[in-house]
Amino acid sequence: MNGTNEKKLNIWNISTFVILAFAVLFIIYPMVLILYKSVISGSGQLSFDYFSKFFQKKYYWSTLINSFKVTIVATAISTILGLIMAYLLRSIVIKGNKYLNIMIVMSYLSPPFIGAYAWIQLLGRNGFITRLLNNILPVKFAGIYGFAGIVLVFSLQSFPLVYMYTSGALKSLDNSLVEAAESLGCNLLDRVRLIIVPLVTPTLLASSLLVFMRVFSDFGTPMLIGEGYKTFPVMIYGQFMGEVNTDDHFAAALCVIIIGITLLLFFLQRFLSAKFTYAMTALKPMEAVKISGFKNVLVHLLVYGIVFVAILPQLTVITTSFLKTGSGGLYTGGFTLENYYNTLLSKNNNSAILNTYLFGFAAIVIVVVLGIIISYLSARKRSFFTSTLDTLTMLPYIIPGSVLGIAFLYGFNSRPLLLSGTATLMIISLSVRRMPYTIRSSTAIIGQISPSVEEAAVSLGCNELQSFLKITVPMMLTGVLSGAIMSWVTLISELSSSIILYTSKTQTLTVAIYAEVIRSSFGNAAAYSTILTVTSILSLLVFFKISGKNDISI
Amino acid sequence: MSVAINIENVIKRFGKDTIIDGLSLNIKEGEFFTLLGPSGCGKTTLLRMIIGFNSIEGGEIKLDEKLINHIPTNKRNMGMVFQNYAIFPHMSVKDNVAFGLKRKKMSKQEIDEKVDEILKIVKIDHLRDRMPAKLSGGQQQRVALARAIVIHPEVLLMDEPLSNLDAKLRVEMRNAIKRIQQQIGITTVYVTHDQEEALAVSDRIAVMNGGVIQQIDTPKRIYQRPANTFVATFIGQSNILDGSIVKTQAGSGIKIFDAFFAMENLSENCAYMQKVSVSIRPEEFILSRDNKEGIKGIIKSSVFLGINTNYFIELENGKEVEVIQASDSLEAIPDGSTVYLNLQTDKINVFTDDGTKNLIRWV
Repeated sequence: MNGTNEKKLNIWNISTFVILAFAVLFIIYPMVLILYKSVISGSGQLSFDYFSKFFQKKYYWSTLINSFKVTIVATAISTILGLIMAYLLRSIVIKGNKYLNIMIVMSYLSPPFIGAYAWIQLLGRNGFITRLLNNILPVKFAGIYGFAGIVLVFSLQSFPLVYMYTSGALKSLDNSLVEAAESLGCNLLDRVRLIIVPLVTPTLLASSLLVFMRVFSDFGTPMLIGEGYKTFPVMIYGQFMGEVNTDDHFAAALCVIIIGITLLLFFLQRFLSAKFTYAMTALKPMEAVKISGFKNVLVHLLVYGIVFVAILPQLTVITTSFLKTGSGGLYTGGFTLENYYNTLLSKNNNSAILNTYLFGFAAIVIVVVLGIIISYLSARKRSFFTSTLDTLTMLPYIIPGSVLGIAFLYGFNSRPLLLSGTATLMIISLSVRRMPYTIRSSTAIIGQISPSVEEAAVSLGCNELQSFLKITVPMMLTGVLSGAIMSWVTLISELSSSIILYTSKTQTLTVAIYAEVIRSSFGNAAAYSTILTVTSILSLLVFFKISGKNDISI
Repeated sequence: MSVAINIENVIKRFGKDTIIDGLSLNIKEGEFFTLLGPSGCGKTTLLRMIIGFNSIEGGEIKLDEKLINHIPTNKRNMGMVFQNYAIFPHMSVKDNVAFGLKRKKMSKQEIDEKVDEILKIVKIDHLRDRMPAKLSGGQQQRVALARAIVIHPEVLLMDEPLSNLDAKLRVEMRNAIKRIQQQIGITTVYVTHDQEEALAVSDRIAVMNGGVIQQIDTPKRIYQRPANTFVATFIGQSNILDGSIVKTQAGSGIKIFDAFFAMENLSENCAYMQKVSVSIRPEEFILSRDNKEGIKGIIKSSVFLGINTNYFIELENGKEVEVIQASDSLEAIPDGSTVYLNLQTDKINVFTDDGTKNLIRWV
């Protein structure tokens, strides 16, 4: 920006400051409040008692250890699974790989806690597979709960993320590098070990960090399948929402701890990826080759097996949604549409569906409009304020959903900022949570549009606003729209902040599913989940149609 | 160390498309051999068959007498330089060059010595510890070359190695490649679509089109005595005019429009009145205004290029030809002037009517 522009109040400056004001109100203010609460005692004095309370009692800090254990193991498993799947599907011709791809994406898009609840139906105490095993085998299998259950659910739920990222990286990997290694005497194993893996390592790191953060801050899964195995987010939720002994200040301190950890991870990943980034021009992308015989059968079995296990929860949920249930959530056998009748047509229940669509849609509009403007400002109108805005709006990336929900409740619980319990606050929280992803993808899209296109428009008589609206926005639209659909799918499956912010009037689908599962009303839960799944599948198909590609980045 | 490459009747199919159908070629040991042709002519396909990235659907490829059809690429011991260099971006210059040596389980000391030696030969020993991102295009090219030849391959293969460089660097690098190839005397197969580059570096060139070899010869012969009109127009510029064979008692010659040109080197099997295509390079015309003999034409436009001047001349039948004349020989001839074109009959080429066969005797 030059000197004359700086003084003028043009449209860009105004929007920068307006958005900045909102960012301060809905990001900075709640976070500062949390920080403040964590170090100020009930009587109003500076105190670190809440932190020392946490680190002194094993009952508290062991949850952090538990969280790290499940997160590290689940992240490792999903990274390995994701890498293997991505490599196999990119390098070998696998029958029906398009559909496999969609199924893998699908298994990622449903909220993890639905996976937990589906796996309980299969491998829980009374699970379908458990009963089958116990009937056949002499040993008694007590069901998969605790550490193993959490790891199972998270690994299967998260490897698709690594898969999608790595698959994209493999696509942009120049095959002549692999060929060069081959001509220099490398066999297949060496080529994978020395060339392919090192080159996708930055992507693996980035995606495993995403998995790590997601798993680390998810509370629905350990809540349902963890039983005695308590993780950190479960404890935060308990401290904040519990019926006895809730302590706002202690909960705030816990929030600060978890933000500290995610922040650390974020910088670690930044540091690592800056160190290992390679610019590559894929003249010749890797081509899938046909293999034959025993190897081919083996690869197909492996790939189909993994995909089947990954979508098994969805299949379970869809099947059980058509099953009759008696009291206590036991299936009585026989098929029925009763569950859909109860969820879709009963007056008490169907608001959840409407709310989900409404909130999701409203949040998408906000996110897309702001996303375009913010990414444009930070890419084309670089100044101190726009960079501040850019950084601020990236912040929610490291704030776990439940922390954001708690912070919002603290911050907007009293006049003049009384928003708690309103749909507005739900929508804002959804928008804030999704903003960083939208901005990043919009910035990437803008980066591909040459500034000279706008300059051409200006030279032909447009003013800056016109060239933005008539040239830049339409050019960005396809990319942004397909991004918006992915955001939509993520938003309608959001649980961790909604579960804290919702009231009976602002219940969403995920909240309803969660509540029904807790109530052991599995029939209704399954019907709700199926509605969610069908919505996601349809949205995904629209996404493929609009973007015209089969790859997805979230 | 050097080997000959014998390619016999090889066939390449992609699905149902046959790209190369029974091609044979012998590359001599230590030779710098170039496959030249327009894009899609099958030259890169053939190169990738030699190294083993493409399967061979029929025929044989032998190194000397050793059949290599079914030897996997990583056991063929051939060095390859890729169009985009394919430098491993996560390894330093030294590690890139040492990569192939490490596969051969050499001692660390031996590897270091060989790396240093080859880096000196390609003149980038000062860049030993750089990462590829900090190298210029020409430097990356040298790393790629060093990496390919340090393993002492039996054959060096290069796939359009200069096409990503700017014009000046391209000339510099092609001289470097030629020098290094002569220095180590390795059998080299070089693929390019750039005819000037091919003429500059090659011992012999195979001109390819549509999966078929049109001519194999030295650069000089390819330029001066092209085997057919495709080669004549692909290598350098040629004007193709219709003509016919005339035989008189004084000798034989060709007739173009009404002008007769006596020829001393026409092949024996030219028939009287046989229709021919005459290929004349722009510099093989002799242009005059006063001498009213030769092919009549009108100057449409001219371009002054310093040493030479190019004239675009329209002939009686409306066909336009390009003529190059030394600038100092004449005052610039104004557009619209009528001129007469004579030919340097020892240099021009005469082809059969369909352009497939050269009718000059010593071809």
